[in-house]
Amino acid sequence: MVDRPLDESELVERARRGDLRAWETIVRTHQGIAFRTAYLLSGNAGDAEEAAQDGFVKAYRALGRFRRGAPLRPWLLRIVANEARNRRRSAGRRERLALRAAAEDRPGDAVPSPEAALLAGEERERLLTAVNRLSDDHRDAVACRYFLDLSEEETAAALGVRRGTVKSRLARALERLREELEA
Amino acid sequence: MTELELQLLGLGRELELPVAPDLAPAVLARIEGRPFPWRRAAALAFAVIVVAIGAAFAVPQARTTILRWFHLGGATIERVETLPPAVERSQAGGLGRPLSRGEAERALGYRLELPPLKGGEPRHVYVLGDSLATVILRAYGHRALLSEFSSFGPRLLKKLALDKTVIEPVQVDGREGLWLKGGPHTLRYFNRSLGVQEQTVLIHGNVLLWLDGTLTLRLEGKLTKAQALSIARAVR
Repeated sequence: MVDRPLDESELVERARRGDLRAWETIVRTHQGIAFRTAYLLSGNAGDAEEAAQDGFVKAYRALGRFRRGAPLRPWLLRIVANEARNRRRSAGRRERLALRAAAEDRPGDAVPSPEAALLAGEERERLLTAVNRLSDDHRDAVACRYFLDLSEEETAAALGVRRGTVKSRLARALERLREELEA
Repeated sequence: MTELELQLLGLGRELELPVAPDLAPAVLARIEGRPFPWRRAAALAFAVIVVAIGAAFAVPQARTTILRWFHLGGATIERVETLPPAVERSQAGGLGRPLSRGEAERALGYRLELPPLKGGEPRHVYVLGDSLATVILRAYGHRALLSEFSSFGPRLLKKLALDKTVIEPVQVDGREGLWLKGGPHTLRYFNRSLGVQEQTVLIHGNVLLWLDGTLTLRLEGKLTKAQALSIARAVR
């Protein structure tokens, strides 16, 4: 008999019954995206770590309310993101997003000319500056949807809003960004 | 997807994002409601490291009788007869979240003391909770961990040592210190911001502990006493 990895719904069922090893597997599967979401929403690594940790603890305790068969990740992100937003409200400040100090070479990347690299770097900086100037609601939508590459459903869960609200916030945010970049 | 949306997706890959910590041990500990004997003390805002040092030690029955005590600044060392269970750890594992030096100093609220480093600044300073900072050094062909924390409040660092472990008082340029050599170590830490988190890991190496003003510093690695003291004297 060959053991096969448990799928997520099986892990959730086991965790519901108190199997902490199953919950550990779930935490390890989702902790990366949960932490990054919390970081982009709270703007602080320490707050993000606490928010993600609190989120996983609260989610475990709320497993009885999790709808069987529903995707787990949006539900987890909603809980973690809520913790992160609460911390941001308490702190009243957030750090600005920044680009990595030096772009790392990726295998297979063509080597750009120094001029092209400089231009690309300046364009990225300009775009990031424009994102940092957006309102919190718009910036959060852009961060979740594009920087974290979350689906619209996951973005809506993380922001605690409806999918239609995500669409309208993104549309307005993109419009603002285009105006700023063309100015 | 529009050109601007594609640019934003690309920008996301270029952002400076901290590395996600392993949350599972703390999450499970909190769910299990493991007893946190230092919780009250932790509320006073400090981190505690417990380092148990020793090797296999034949005793008539399993026990952890405390035989002797040493104190050094914020540290306490206890001699015991058996070690707590421990797991292996990679050198950067369990050290906390990696930050730049500036970020770490802002989080800790004090200036870090470091030896001269090739390249000027450490690539990462690992910060556990908001009290304990660790930098990974390479010296004398070995990797070593330099950890430091402000020694305010009650005992911040607690060590357990077996009788086989050599514990020797030393001076680091006139500052009080202790050299601990022999046997594997186990490290337990407590994290104040996480409501006290405990983890026991196995470490192979010697330890130099010393004080500098309000800081307690700890150098861990496969270093001789002379090598460890030389590094400690260069820490500014």
